[in-house]
Amino acid sequence: MPSSRCLLRLPHPPSSLLAAPIAPHTSTSLRHAAPFSASASQCMPAPAKKKGVTFGGPPARGTKALRIKKTVRQSTARPPAPGERRALRKRIVLSNTNALEVAGLRDATLDSLVDEAMVGKVVGLPGQVVDSLRVVEAFKVHQGWGLFRRPACLVRKETVEIGRVVAEAEEQKTTRRVVLCGERNSGKSVLLLQGLAGAFMRGWVVLNFPEAKDLTIGHTAYSPIPNTTPTQYAQRTYTANLLSQISKANASVLSALQITQSHDLPMPLQRNLTLDRLCELGARDPDIAWPIFQALWKELTAPGRPPVFMALDGLAHVMRLSAYLAPDTKPIHAHDLALVNHFVEYLSGQKQLGNGGVVMAAVSESNQPRTPALEHAPRRKQPESFLEHQLRQLKHWNPYVKGDERVIKALDGVEVLRLKGLSREEARGVMEYYAASGMLRNTVTEGFVSEKWSLAGQGIVGELERAAVRLRV
Amino acid sequence: MKGVELSTGFQRAVCSVCRPRRPRSDASKHLVKRIRYPVSSASFSTSPTRRATDLTPASNRGIAAAPFSFGGDSEDSGLLKRVRVVPASPSYFSGKPDFTDSLLSLQALLRKYQTLPTVPAGQAPRVAWKTLAQFRLSLSEPVKAAKYHKIVEVLHRLNHIHPSLMPEEVLEALQKHKRDINPFENVANPRFIDGYGRAWGTGRRKASVATACVVEGEGEVLVNGKTLTQFFGRLHDRESVIWALKSTQRIDKYNIWALVKGGGTTGQAEALTLAVGKALMVHEPLLKPALRRAGCVTRDPRRVERKKPGHVKARKMPTWVKR
Repeated sequence: MPSSRCLLRLPHPPSSLLAAPIAPHTSTSLRHAAPFSASASQCMPAPAKKKGVTFGGPPARGTKALRIKKTVRQSTARPPAPGERRALRKRIVLSNTNALEVAGLRDATLDSLVDEAMVGKVVGLPGQVVDSLRVVEAFKVHQGWGLFRRPACLVRKETVEIGRVVAEAEEQKTTRRVVLCGERNSGKSVLLLQGLAGAFMRGWVVLNFPEAKDLTIGHTAYSPIPNTTPTQYAQRTYTANLLSQISKANASVLSALQITQSHDLPMPLQRNLTLDRLCELGARDPDIAWPIFQALWKELTAPGRPPVFMALDGLAHVMRLSAYLAPDTKPIHAHDLALVNHFVEYLSGQKQLGNGGVVMAAVSESNQPRTPALEHAPRRKQPESFLEHQLRQLKHWNPYVKGDERVIKALDGVEVLRLKGLSREEARGVMEYYAASGMLRNTVTEGFVSEKWSLAGQGIVGELERAAVRLRV
Repeated sequence: MKGVELSTGFQRAVCSVCRPRRPRSDASKHLVKRIRYPVSSASFSTSPTRRATDLTPASNRGIAAAPFSFGGDSEDSGLLKRVRVVPASPSYFSGKPDFTDSLLSLQALLRKYQTLPTVPAGQAPRVAWKTLAQFRLSLSEPVKAAKYHKIVEVLHRLNHIHPSLMPEEVLEALQKHKRDINPFENVANPRFIDGYGRAWGTGRRKASVATACVVEGEGEVLVNGKTLTQFFGRLHDRESVIWALKSTQRIDKYNIWALVKGGGTTGQAEALTLAVGKALMVHEPLLKPALRRAGCVTRDPRRVERKKPGHVKARKMPTWVKR
């Protein structure tokens, strides 16, 4: 792709810049022409300190005072290398060797995720599934995986519901569209992970966008796709990374599938190329990542292929204008980004998965973008998330609140699963697991469970863990 | 100077011989105003009225020497009455006449009515007697605490006379020693559980005011329409809210619906502690001692201390600088 068409990380200009019409064409020219910068290397050196009378200076002439020279210590520590801090911040720890091995902890099976009798019990995640989940970045920091010996999760009522949705989609070869809502720390992302785990165990092809924010905040390269109206933008680096994740996580499924369709690609393809190899080709070269992704999708939706599970976390970020700018300096709507558009087409029901499948998205309550339209909304009794508001717009149109038509269309008719707190039985189950892991020293009694249940806002699972395990006194 | 005094003294003496300058009747009226009490016939008195009553043949048998006769003339004694200056109260020479009078009068009352039936200890109507400072102010005499305590003891005993037989005289005497406002009459309104099974309680802490409604339930809490986790980010604050229930092991027995305003998070949480505690006491009044031990009954009166002039904050002083 010619570099003149590639817009790298073009942020919102300040309002003073917007006043004068600037049409940036290349990223390089823009970077060199940047009038000021926040980065250390481009900053002017700080002005030297004045050598004059300072507050803590030597005493005036003639006074007798004790003079103590302060010893200045030179730091010998190595400054962190670029990316080191980020790696530390994003590190996923899935095991705590100090935690006890829980006796009788059974691995999750296809049945255990659908069985109502399992509600309130904790099941371990099988090793292969853990590897796959790790590749698709389904585990998040701060979810408390590093507190216990091995990844395990509670089977709750909603887990069984999701398990059934997946099972039905496979049987009836239909597309199910689900959005997970709920209070902060109520377990939406973990439920999404359970859905992914179920899909991996069923041998589905899994496609996961772990953080929707990464797609829209302007941190990855984007370029317009020619011959599209309205113009769509491909994010080639992100797509390459996504392809690499798909090929690694679904290696066992994709390595058994070969190309059957003809594709219009910039390079010739081998006849009996397996799909995971196809993904790797795209992962290796970001320039052809997007065409390869399209080719992969064409193959996956062809008849006779396994069902597909598409998941996205942090839905509100893709339901608004992105931080990217079009060449006319207007912000690009998130739905004009090719990858987001791909997901939204299936979420809105505009397209169907031919072999059946599930499109699932979770809302994030701790990382919600500001929505100016909602800030002017009249005061509501209940705190309501952005997405919930948009969903309500579908039912009861409020003419005084600006709603995004594309967003409302995208969410039309989705199944909404609203997560609340755990029931007391579920809370007891998970606390017994904490105790068996040695992370909770108290005896799990009825009174103890009900106390923590109340403190955790009627069983919000993240708060339950915080009260029982993390903030142990 | 001396000459002047002498001359005026002489003038006075002459005047008193001619005409009574101060009518005796006035003095006697003043005496009557004071509470009189029976005095044994053997007692000694310097006042003329008393002496007049004592000058009976029977009193001659008293311990003191027989009264000195100034000639036995009635006219002479009348003159003497006019000439001699006599203190109004027999307690005049005790130094604290009003105090002594009131103590003696109360003791006399008690002696008079000590045979009346009394109520058992602790069951008399609660009365707040005047404080020592108030008593001193009313007498303008330097009364010591221990002395006043004697009066209070008598008052206390008199207050225990059975109310149905309480003499008017005693009531009047007690009334004089009561405070203007009886704090024990200020009784809190009794609280009830309403028709929906709700009990309301109010609590305050720092600048926060909380109202809590406690119903039988299973441990659900809503504060200003939000759950505990949504309203209080800090676990300690959440524990404060349900502390009254936790300390009495009733978390899973009641639901709380509360409104709170003013102040900061800690103040709001601790105002809720009190509000929930009070509402819980409506449901189960016997929990009061347990709740008091848990600190859910008494309001913490501390507020922000005011800033003082010359200080940076309430107490902080500006840094000392040499020049």
